[in-house]
Amino acid sequence: MTGSAYNSYTRIVSFVAAALCTIFAFGIVAVLCLVVFYLFGKGASALSWQFFTELPGTDPQNPKGMRHALEGTLIMVSLAAAVGVPLGILVGVYLSEYSSEKFLPTTVRFVADVLAGVPSIVVGILGYELLVVPMGTNSGYAGAAALAFIMIPIVARTTEEMLKLVPKSYREGSLALGATKSQTILKVVLPAATGSIVTGVLLAIARAAGETAPLLFTALSSQYLTRDPSQPFPSLTVQIYNYATGPFQGQRTLAWAGILVLISLFFVLSLAVRWLTRRAVIKMV
Amino acid sequence: MLLLVLLASVVVVLFKGALPAIEHFGAKFLVTSEWRVNEVERPLRDAVGKIQFDADGEQIIETIPQAFGALPTMYGTAVSSSLALLFAVPLALGSALFLVRLAPKFKLAAPIGFLIEFLASIPSIAYGVWGLFVLAPFLQSHIGPFVRDLLLDVPGLRWMFFETVTIAGQTSEREIPMVGRSMLCAGLVLAIMILPIITSVSRDVLRAVPRTQVEGSLALGATWWQSSWMMLKYARSGLFGAVMLGLARAAGETMAVAMVIGNANAINPSPFSPGQTMASLLANEFNDPGEKLHRPSLMYVALILLVMSLTFNIVARWLVVGKKQ
Repeated sequence: MTGSAYNSYTRIVSFVAAALCTIFAFGIVAVLCLVVFYLFGKGASALSWQFFTELPGTDPQNPKGMRHALEGTLIMVSLAAAVGVPLGILVGVYLSEYSSEKFLPTTVRFVADVLAGVPSIVVGILGYELLVVPMGTNSGYAGAAALAFIMIPIVARTTEEMLKLVPKSYREGSLALGATKSQTILKVVLPAATGSIVTGVLLAIARAAGETAPLLFTALSSQYLTRDPSQPFPSLTVQIYNYATGPFQGQRTLAWAGILVLISLFFVLSLAVRWLTRRAVIKMV
Repeated sequence: MLLLVLLASVVVVLFKGALPAIEHFGAKFLVTSEWRVNEVERPLRDAVGKIQFDADGEQIIETIPQAFGALPTMYGTAVSSSLALLFAVPLALGSALFLVRLAPKFKLAAPIGFLIEFLASIPSIAYGVWGLFVLAPFLQSHIGPFVRDLLLDVPGLRWMFFETVTIAGQTSEREIPMVGRSMLCAGLVLAIMILPIITSVSRDVLRAVPRTQVEGSLALGATWWQSSWMMLKYARSGLFGAVMLGLARAAGETMAVAMVIGNANAINPSPFSPGQTMASLLANEFNDPGEKLHRPSLMYVALILLVMSLTFNIVARWLVVGKKQ
């Protein structure tokens, strides 16, 4: 093969490869957008005010709304966040600020990563064995505990990453002024990273709100408006699952509406997270 | 400490729950494929199928015990995840290259990056509903028949569309019906779900390749693709880690799979037949278990699932994070 022929051959290969990569990227975005737009469109035609204000009602073929499920998810995720967020932040602070000892932090970090990889259905089974069996009934508390289990490693790891981004000079300056280590962490390091920690918390909350599998065996579901978390508890995701796999057209329509609400929530959260991270980075630099 | 307790509790609880099944079935659980939830009582028959009677003319009733084996679900998890990787990995790596090396020129890296991260955050139930109501019917009515017409005459692929069945001692071959909710459908839905995560992690990995490496190869006269190939080779362990993360996600995914895989607890070699994964089995059966060994067996399955996805995750973290430091 002559030099110039080889040259044009490799050039063509290179061009084709670049074109393929471009097509792949746009293909992925196109397919995924198609899915999301379909969900949006289908949900938009199914959504009405009733969805937010009414309970399913007595006719299983034509349930009216999912107010109970919306409130249920809100209550359960709040309970989970009340437990999971402080614990997660504590672990994160420990990992970032007290990791001068060698062995323990490495282990804890490893365990946090491993925990984040536990399949969510297994978390549900754990909640069932540890809480539902002793309590004798499915309950909102068990559901909230399962969600907290999922949130803790996420919050811990993002908190650690964000605290590490706070410049060392901040800590040294504070210590040089005579502040103790705990004062430095509480008054200097944490405030400097608040924006980005909030981001991590938002991500964890979103993740918990979208989970279905851990709730199947713990919170179960309910057709009624209940504010007592010691009883079987409704949630948006499980309600969508039950309706989507149910036999009646009316239920499926409502499931589509539920999906729309869920995805819109995630879109707003994604935007918020993006806005917050950008602001946090600017503030820090 | 808290985290250690949490992790230990997962393992201990699952192990304790699964203990009766572990004691009863042992390692045989992993290689048998029967799944009989309830004891069956039926008239005893001889070799040619005649019902047996005892001396008083009463039918002799035989009792067939419960039996559980995880092989079909392990097979289902392996096949559906492999299918997902087969579809997702080339697409994801190509797009990651595009995002790192081409998109910045056109100021597309930020918007496409945002889209991909948003798509990665969408809950699995949404993909499941889409797969159930859109993809599965489409597979059944269009893609399935199309692929069958296309590949029917290709030698060696007949197993995809025909199965041999034995009914009343007679063996015959019959066409596999296109049901839509199948192994293939699960693979496709999983592929769509893990595309964003593989793309975004491999994008970060490729970005970490030192500039000098790329510029050096370009200075030596490498074309765009040659220098990209060099980048891929340089970052291979991180990219492999990204793929493992995707694999862990696909193997542990529950809801979307349970909605589209068809839930048939048997090994069907054709991708157009329904199947079952470990996670979808748990989602379907854990809430109202049969008697005695059913729930311990489900816990046993959960234990296998846990060990498997933890292995994937640990390998992935080690490759992505460990090597970087």
